[in-house]
Amino acid sequence: MAEIVFAAGAPHAPGLIGLLEAAPNDVKDVVIHTYRTLAERIRAAKPDALIVFANDHLANSRVRAYPDFLIGMAEEHSGPHEWFKPWIGCDDYTVKGDRDLAEKLFHGLNRRGIRMFAQHENLYFDDNISVPVLLTDLNDGSIPMVPVLQNCTVPPFPDQYKSYEAGKALGDFIREDLPSDMRIALLGSGGLSHEPGGARYYFIDEEFDRWFLEASASGDHEKLLSELTIERMEKAGVGGTTELLAWIVVLGAIGPHRGESFGYVVHKDFKCGVGAVHWHLDQPVT
Amino acid sequence: MDLKDFDPSLATHDLIQDLKWNPPLRDEFAANEAAVLDRYPLREAERKALEARDFRSLYDLGLHPYLGGQLARLIYGNEAGKGATVAVNKLVESLTGGKAE
Repeated sequence: MAEIVFAAGAPHAPGLIGLLEAAPNDVKDVVIHTYRTLAERIRAAKPDALIVFANDHLANSRVRAYPDFLIGMAEEHSGPHEWFKPWIGCDDYTVKGDRDLAEKLFHGLNRRGIRMFAQHENLYFDDNISVPVLLTDLNDGSIPMVPVLQNCTVPPFPDQYKSYEAGKALGDFIREDLPSDMRIALLGSGGLSHEPGGARYYFIDEEFDRWFLEASASGDHEKLLSELTIERMEKAGVGGTTELLAWIVVLGAIGPHRGESFGYVVHKDFKCGVGAVHWHLDQPVT
Repeated sequence: MDLKDFDPSLATHDLIQDLKWNPPLRDEFAANEAAVLDRYPLREAERKALEARDFRSLYDLGLHPYLGGQLARLIYGNEAGKGATVAVNKLVESLTGGKAE
């Protein structure tokens, strides 16, 4: 039985790279510490591979033919896609892929009734993958990555219950289909509250963010799922906050566990609430 | 604003995706916008709104706001802290009828 050895959720706002230098020192310190902590903890877990679920942001498919889950099967993932480079303000990077794991994931989830799409070609990555990769140095070649780009914003998209079901299938796939000594890390990339492209572009819903971080760290998944409705997320920022559904996939995979919420910070120019949760896999909630 | 207004049949979605994915098309759009717009099956109101940089009308017609944000960057600038900030403020101005915060 393969094992999930690391699970976390963290935002990927582009400003965390391109606008970080101009941010106040206290904000900068929190952001750097948050992603350094995640980087250290991922490596301490000694995973064989990292699977990242992240909002696709309409980067890869037309709106009328939009997959709910798109797996990157490339041997190597390069990013960002050229148009996003100045917007993120980052350098080019390459991350080792894991084609075998990606293929198994594709088959394993489809067999479990979760419709997956997959591409051998390099996917177009914007901030969704680029920001966590660069802030945790995943481009150092130490951990292969399989990206799964999720439809978090093109209606109708999988809601909190469907995302959790996808996560349960993911957990079952990891435990039942992968080699018994394999160690898998999971990251939900996205959130917190934000409204990209909306009239409230600069709005950050601190009350929602703090509630979500605490609720997702509590391990009470039934309560979290009943309260984290699409309507509630949209109230906290239309078209952006729902990318927290990528965190819900991770929660479905690990099942109820307590987590540690850390690094919450509000900085208007980021246009997005920032904070992470690392779930303690040795602290199940029964 | 909410996603209930989203109309995926709006051709502006394809225009924005193509501009993102195709650098020569971006150059052509900058040099001769009308020639690029001519190639898309835009509704009359949609084309007028595009030409007027009227994001409010585009959203009312059904443009997805995430792509609206990208359209603003394609028009006003895409660099962090520079053109991209101008794009956000121009977009918010159009959507609210006033100045951005």
